[in-house]
Amino acid sequence: MRRYWRVFREFFRTCLVEELEYRSEFMGNLLSSLFGIGMAILTIKVFFYQTDHLGGWGYADVLLLLGIFNVLQGLIDFALRPNMSRLLQHIRTGTFDHILTKPVDSMFYVSFRHLVFWRLIDVLLGIGLMIYALIEKHYMPSVLDAAMFIVSIGAALVLIYALWMMLMTTSFWVIRIDDLSFVFNSFFETTRFPISMYRSWLRIVLTYVLPAAFITSTPALSLLGKWNGMTTIVSIILAGLFLWLSRRFWRYALRSYTSA
Amino acid sequence: MFRKYVVLLRMKYVEMFAYRLATIVWMTGAMVQPLITMMVWMNIDPHQENAFIFYFAALIFVERMTSAWDVWEMEREIREGTYSYQIVRPFHPIHLAIAENIVYKALFFVILVPVWSILAIFVPAMRLGQINGTQWLLFFCALLLGAVIRFLFSYMFGLLGFWITKVTAVYGMFEAVSLFLSGRIAPLSLLPPSVKTLSLYLPFRYMVGFPIEILNGDIRGLDIVFGFGWAVAWSLIFMLAVMLLWKAGLRKNQAVGG
Amino acid sequence: MSIQVEHLYKQFRVHVRQPGWKDAIRSLFKREYRTVEAVQDISFTIPSGEIVGFLGPNGAGKTTTIKMLAGLLYPTAGHVQVAGYVPFEQKPEFKKIISLVMGQKSQLIWDIPPMETFLVNKAIYEIEDRVFRQTLDELVELLELEPLLTKPTRSLSLGQRMKCELAAALLHRPQVLFLDEPTIGLDVHTQEKVRRFIGEYNREHRTTVLLTSHYMGDVTALCDRVLIINHGKLLYDGGLDRLTEKLTPYKLLEVRLASIPDISWEAYGELVDAKEGKVTLRVARERIPEVSSQFLQRFDVRDLNIEDPPMEEVITLAFQEGSHVS
Repeated sequence: MRRYWRVFREFFRTCLVEELEYRSEFMGNLLSSLFGIGMAILTIKVFFYQTDHLGGWGYADVLLLLGIFNVLQGLIDFALRPNMSRLLQHIRTGTFDHILTKPVDSMFYVSFRHLVFWRLIDVLLGIGLMIYALIEKHYMPSVLDAAMFIVSIGAALVLIYALWMMLMTTSFWVIRIDDLSFVFNSFFETTRFPISMYRSWLRIVLTYVLPAAFITSTPALSLLGKWNGMTTIVSIILAGLFLWLSRRFWRYALRSYTSA
Repeated sequence: MFRKYVVLLRMKYVEMFAYRLATIVWMTGAMVQPLITMMVWMNIDPHQENAFIFYFAALIFVERMTSAWDVWEMEREIREGTYSYQIVRPFHPIHLAIAENIVYKALFFVILVPVWSILAIFVPAMRLGQINGTQWLLFFCALLLGAVIRFLFSYMFGLLGFWITKVTAVYGMFEAVSLFLSGRIAPLSLLPPSVKTLSLYLPFRYMVGFPIEILNGDIRGLDIVFGFGWAVAWSLIFMLAVMLLWKAGLRKNQAVGG
Repeated sequence: MSIQVEHLYKQFRVHVRQPGWKDAIRSLFKREYRTVEAVQDISFTIPSGEIVGFLGPNGAGKTTTIKMLAGLLYPTAGHVQVAGYVPFEQKPEFKKIISLVMGQKSQLIWDIPPMETFLVNKAIYEIEDRVFRQTLDELVELLELEPLLTKPTRSLSLGQRMKCELAAALLHRPQVLFLDEPTIGLDVHTQEKVRRFIGEYNREHRTTVLLTSHYMGDVTALCDRVLIINHGKLLYDGGLDRLTEKLTPYKLLEVRLASIPDISWEAYGELVDAKEGKVTLRVARERIPEVSSQFLQRFDVRDLNIEDPPMEEVITLAFQEGSHVS
């Protein structure tokens, strides 16, 4: 475990140095992130021009959700997305074999080798939005709220990783599509809004089949003091389950790849 | 020239066919954002459910029929250096882009129309019986103009790639703004008045929202004339821009190279 | 005359990338530029039908020169004329008589068979059906393209792709063919095939061929005439033999002896290598007959070989700045 932390630190350092080579791009990236979150907030404002609540959530609540969404999206763009197209390249050009010979777990390597640092701006902006939302709502999360939040956001991160990995693993067979991250994006868009907004059957699908509910809604509710012990436990279980599934899937893919 | 287009269309068709899986996935993926937005609106105003279903279904159709991705193609070609091949040939590269747009839009049409027809059987909100012949005619004219405007807009940015390296990022920003002003986040009638007024004069409404408004019966008479007037004006403006940028871009490329 | 170039200059203004933080922010408002002299005062004339090689290390200015000849760049100063046209004016009639192939950059459409690209080119260059058929058949035969035409470009190997690229470029029977690093990345076998094809095609059709390369092999196999360019300057313009003579006024003498005596070889020439019975010396050209006979008289010679120095050596000397060879 410690070894993996060290390896991750190396990836972190290497990619950071690479990126600092292009410091003049920093301004452009900052503007782009600001613009992105600005547009997202404007979108919410357009909806709330016509209403006071969305699926039972108020304006500040939805902003909090958006903040969490931005943080998660920033982390995905920081660590997961850059690796997706590279995996496909590795498989296509045959360099994936190199990765298999390295003494590090291939799934870990493939997920974290390339990191795009400026995306952390999105994470910071997301946190900023979250704080703003809490201030707007005049709500100060209690220690227990914060704890439940941390647990559920941890589960959310694991879920995202697992789902993303499963998508990545399909690259072994679906080599025609250049960038499958598009598929994940479509799914992830559903987490932008409170789960209670969706109709019954869709809500069930988005809770148990593709657990969008546990990705943004549950952490947001926790931070707002509306956490539910049962829900949090379910989120942990689902996170574990999906992680296990993604690991099995990866192993299966490796087996069929190496035997081909 | 007609014969050249026949050859180009055939080639683009073969190319699209090789890419069919990716195209279908991509087309389906583009439906997610409008559908989610639709659900938001249905949540906000459940009484208008049918109107929203119709609006967003029409939106998906119109948006696909006018979609343009030329800026990404051109950015890639300029970056990879293969754009030189286009310059060295005695044929304007815009024809290839137009041929590609025609082929893909024909594909979307061929897929979406039957899908709509089938859905209309189960979803009463999607029935089209109430639309008269004149509306249809005007709708398709507006749709065609919308496709032209959006294509020229995208091509214009592709040409700006001779000067700006991250031109796709700049285009992305305009697309984001376009979401509001073209009626993709909310039907234009539900926007704050200042935004609504702004949208009347900018090109984005004519790319997507205007044809839907005609189909919806939201606008009539003089408003339609006004709309077409602006749509034609924007087409001419972008056409001029593309012609000027092409000449200037060639000169720029000849100065700096690729 | 097919190609005329007089006092050609090309300068680029390049934005200077600043490493520091403050500099990076400042660069958003005011950029600093540095002028790169890519081509400096190059002049040459190429009669039609000749195969000419532009040889030089990376960044020498070869590709920039070719791009000016193809009309992709306009010169900062000087005159260029290709087949009576001024390239950067980009006249359609000019474009119909030239063709460009860039190594590693493909004009073939990726996901579909090369034949489709050929058909598009046929339409673009307005080639008649009958002429197209003839040309295609000839190219298919010369390049052995038969099995490749119906497979998607992405499934072809680099070598196969290059052969199809050449075919695509020649369908409209251009008068002038520009080849920018055509054999780069290819295996030795395919390189040879490509070179042989270009030579044959030139002999058959008298197409003027301009070829840039940093591979010696391309030039030795194909070009009677070579232009050596380095740091934007034309260092040499002429035949390869003359170049070898001028730059390396020596030959390599290889002698195989029963055993290597422990003596100084200076009297005979400059020692390059002496091991396992084989002695290699650099001997001035004029002295070769004399030194050879001395060896044969004084030593127990098993084998004797006289060779020109390797082309690489010649070229390395040529690439050195200031080594203008008249």
